[in-house]
Amino acid sequence: MGKVIVSTGRGGTGKSTFVALASKYLNSPKLLIDLDPDESLADMVGVDLSEKGEKTISSALYNIIEENKGAGRTGYNLLSDAMQSVLYKGKEFDLIALGTKFTVGCYCAPDAVLKDFIPTLVRDYQEVLVDSPAGLEHFNRKVVVDIDDLFVILDPSEKSTKHVERVKDIIREVKVSYNHLYLIGNYRFTEKTEECLRGTGETYLGKIDYDPHVRQYNLEGRSLLNLPQDSPAALCVRNILMKAGYKLQN
Amino acid sequence: MGRRIVATGRGGAGKSSFAALVSRYLNPPTLLVDLDPDLSLADMLGFDFRKEGKRTVCEALYDVVKKRKRNISPTITTHDQMESLLWSDCLYEGRKIDLVSLGTKLTEGCLCAPDEILRKTIPGLAKNYTNLVVDSPAGVEHLNRNIVSEINDLFVLCDPSDKSLKHIGRIKEIIKQVGTRYGHFYLVANHECKEEAEEYLQNTGEIYLGKIDYDARLEQYNLEGKSLLELPDDSPACLSVRRVLAKAGYQTNS
Repeated sequence: MGKVIVSTGRGGTGKSTFVALASKYLNSPKLLIDLDPDESLADMVGVDLSEKGEKTISSALYNIIEENKGAGRTGYNLLSDAMQSVLYKGKEFDLIALGTKFTVGCYCAPDAVLKDFIPTLVRDYQEVLVDSPAGLEHFNRKVVVDIDDLFVILDPSEKSTKHVERVKDIIREVKVSYNHLYLIGNYRFTEKTEECLRGTGETYLGKIDYDPHVRQYNLEGRSLLNLPQDSPAALCVRNILMKAGYKLQN
Repeated sequence: MGRRIVATGRGGAGKSSFAALVSRYLNPPTLLVDLDPDLSLADMLGFDFRKEGKRTVCEALYDVVKKRKRNISPTITTHDQMESLLWSDCLYEGRKIDLVSLGTKLTEGCLCAPDEILRKTIPGLAKNYTNLVVDSPAGVEHLNRNIVSEINDLFVLCDPSDKSLKHIGRIKEIIKQVGTRYGHFYLVANHECKEEAEEYLQNTGEIYLGKIDYDARLEQYNLEGKSLLELPDDSPACLSVRRVLAKAGYQTNS
């Protein structure tokens, strides 16, 4: 049974960057899951989902629904069978993405498909790293029910501290379980603002330093896995994981 | 019928700050709608819902749902009940700006129900205002839900990343497919965009209105939870927002 790690936070705090960088250090076999319909994790780890013909859960689901209109079978069952086809298998890691949908309505259906599939998936990996969409709705939907480590990435604003309280309220009410909740500051924190995080009563693991390379790579859409070895952001993520008790492979 | 303005974009691009400042400079009365369950707009404007006895849409809705479970078959539908509650309980009345907030939901399940209530009631509410300004949650799901189906001006706030460019393409495709109608599609760069990133935005084929300059004071206000309505008129963010609005053909007030 793999360890389930979830990265969450308000928009733009650096959730996906954290996941991409953490994936370098975690142990294989590992799986990355992108829950954000505004998909970007694949690009950030240098995977082109369309190139190899792999699809996202949303595209597979709505294709199946379209093809089977009136056929008397549900897209849901067909998709469970087709699930292996949307799983990208790489040398270093596997990846599965929720993906964008282009029809009216919410992401409840693709989220539900993924939610049911996660417990099965988790068995095949040592570590499973989940990147969340911004905001809170994914918690209400209980897409991931059993979390080992929940990393909340924060920016320096009052909204961020309120966000932590909201996350805790929701997961308590809807009964998402987790072993640890860790706070991480993003590069915009200063020593002064970091003090606020230390005073929250939660476990604060440190901040991720500013890294001009990360900025440049994200601008150009290059894979963060090709960052130089001494990149400040990557080293910070490494330190943070070690602080959280991870045994790392790099 | 007033102008309908929607601010959208990836997380952290500056949607809420933009929506707050836009509301401040438009001709009143303006109705501001905060669709983000991780609510922040009320805080950013210094609106204290609790003090005024106001509630978010989620708070009101799940209270109604709870009560309905206890009472036997009430003759009024949840939707009708909510429509009146929106006016009495959820509409925060400010001096120039009124605000309705979606709010956080603490029960299991998606936000389809509260979003649907807003989708149906927003047009009616907006009739009473010169402008409707909608602040979106990060991401794309609100666009799939087609919450505001007729938009005059859609402002997309962009951060300097390849993801931002892909985001623009993605949301155009979504709103086309779900049948959202809009008058203009505008791009606005956030303070993190340098010249190189601005160049990318100029070459997308969409209308690029300029960038919101870095404003240390705005950052400070957000950190401390101070109202953006008190940001001095000559601060860089305010000047930028007015410049962007002027470019889009708006007459602003001071």
